[in-house]
Amino acid sequence: MSTAIAPRDERTQPIRIVPGYPQTPWRNPQEPLVKRPPTLSELTGPLEVAKRVKLLGGDIAGHGEKQAIGQLMHLKVRVMDEDGAPVGGAVVEVWQANAAGRYIHPNDDEHAPVDANFYGAARLVTDESGAFELRTVKPGAYPVPTKDGWWRPPHVHFSLFGKVWLQRLVTQMYFPGEPLNGQDRILNAVPDAQARQRLIARMVPPTGNPYNALVFEHQIVLRGRRATVVQP
Amino acid sequence: MIPTGEATIGPFFPPRYVDAGANDLTQLEGRAAQGEAIEILGCVRQEDSAPLDNLVLEIWQADAKGIYRHPADPRQREADPNFLGWGRAATDKQGNYRFRTVRPGAPAGRTRHVNFMVMFSGLMRILKTTMFFEGEQANDADPVLMAVPAARRALLVARQEAPGEYRFELKLRGAHETPFFDD
Repeated sequence: MSTAIAPRDERTQPIRIVPGYPQTPWRNPQEPLVKRPPTLSELTGPLEVAKRVKLLGGDIAGHGEKQAIGQLMHLKVRVMDEDGAPVGGAVVEVWQANAAGRYIHPNDDEHAPVDANFYGAARLVTDESGAFELRTVKPGAYPVPTKDGWWRPPHVHFSLFGKVWLQRLVTQMYFPGEPLNGQDRILNAVPDAQARQRLIARMVPPTGNPYNALVFEHQIVLRGRRATVVQP
Repeated sequence: MIPTGEATIGPFFPPRYVDAGANDLTQLEGRAAQGEAIEILGCVRQEDSAPLDNLVLEIWQADAKGIYRHPADPRQREADPNFLGWGRAATDKQGNYRFRTVRPGAPAGRTRHVNFMVMFSGLMRILKTTMFFEGEQANDADPVLMAVPAARRALLVARQEAPGEYRFELKLRGAHETPFFDD
């Protein structure tokens, strides 16, 4: 069994040069992207990333006196392929701002306070059902240094390793009902309204978790379907 | 189901995610990989040639015998147990990156090569390309390199600067723009 990758519907993926996002015109190719025949090289990929980079726990909100400031949040994510089949054993990297909208990063240095009890990064592996859970705090919004009123809505970053190289995905998850969602230049770079909606998590009743956190559910669909390869 | 929309990695990818040693593919859990150790290095620039700092690169390649550590490769059982095939590096203030790896063997039907991914603030989607090695006769028959317009192929061929040291420059846009693939 292997994985077949078909082209995506372009309207489900972001435009590359985004009006009002000033770095994009300098960094995205001008020449047409080259179509290539699929070979084993793109239809294989790293399955044991965790042997090269360390896993970090799924609880980044802290406890007791070391608890992070913010609204406690329990995030339940399911990773699947285009057939809806769960992608188990996938390494997922998560990172986010703290409740004040500040990242722990040397490039984020002025607009909001650091929370000594919040680093904001987790690296996990999905279980057999493609699921992973994270106990964290809800990230804050923050202004982008374009100085023209663009604020990023609260969001969580994900980087995922599927079964093959072409399934690699970097994406962002948003929260329902946030007024900044409608004007965010990154979320709205995806042309198709339904595809945008799928980037927004679903809030579910905050029951069934032991620490009474807000609960959000989200689905991430990696490219690819299972395929039977005919060996020559 | 519709594949999830990509988004930029942004400027705040956690520094600890580029773990020390993540750019060294020549060993796995302390055991040395088979084959000739080589270095791949270069600078990443944008349209105005400004070097790009804080950019994340990942590579994926076959082992020294041209085998992928993956069940889709019919030769997987013969794969080097000490070669993972994947690594990650970030660029420094001067836009420079460096990987230590082993010279990949030629997989069936291909010339030897290393796959690259570029992730960066302002890139709404991952950019994917492939590096080839200078002086390889099989380059002229490689289906991926031959898919690139002839005038641009040389931009994907790394130059040997010293024994075992290859320079692969990446230009994201503009003059000498690196060919990227539409996958």
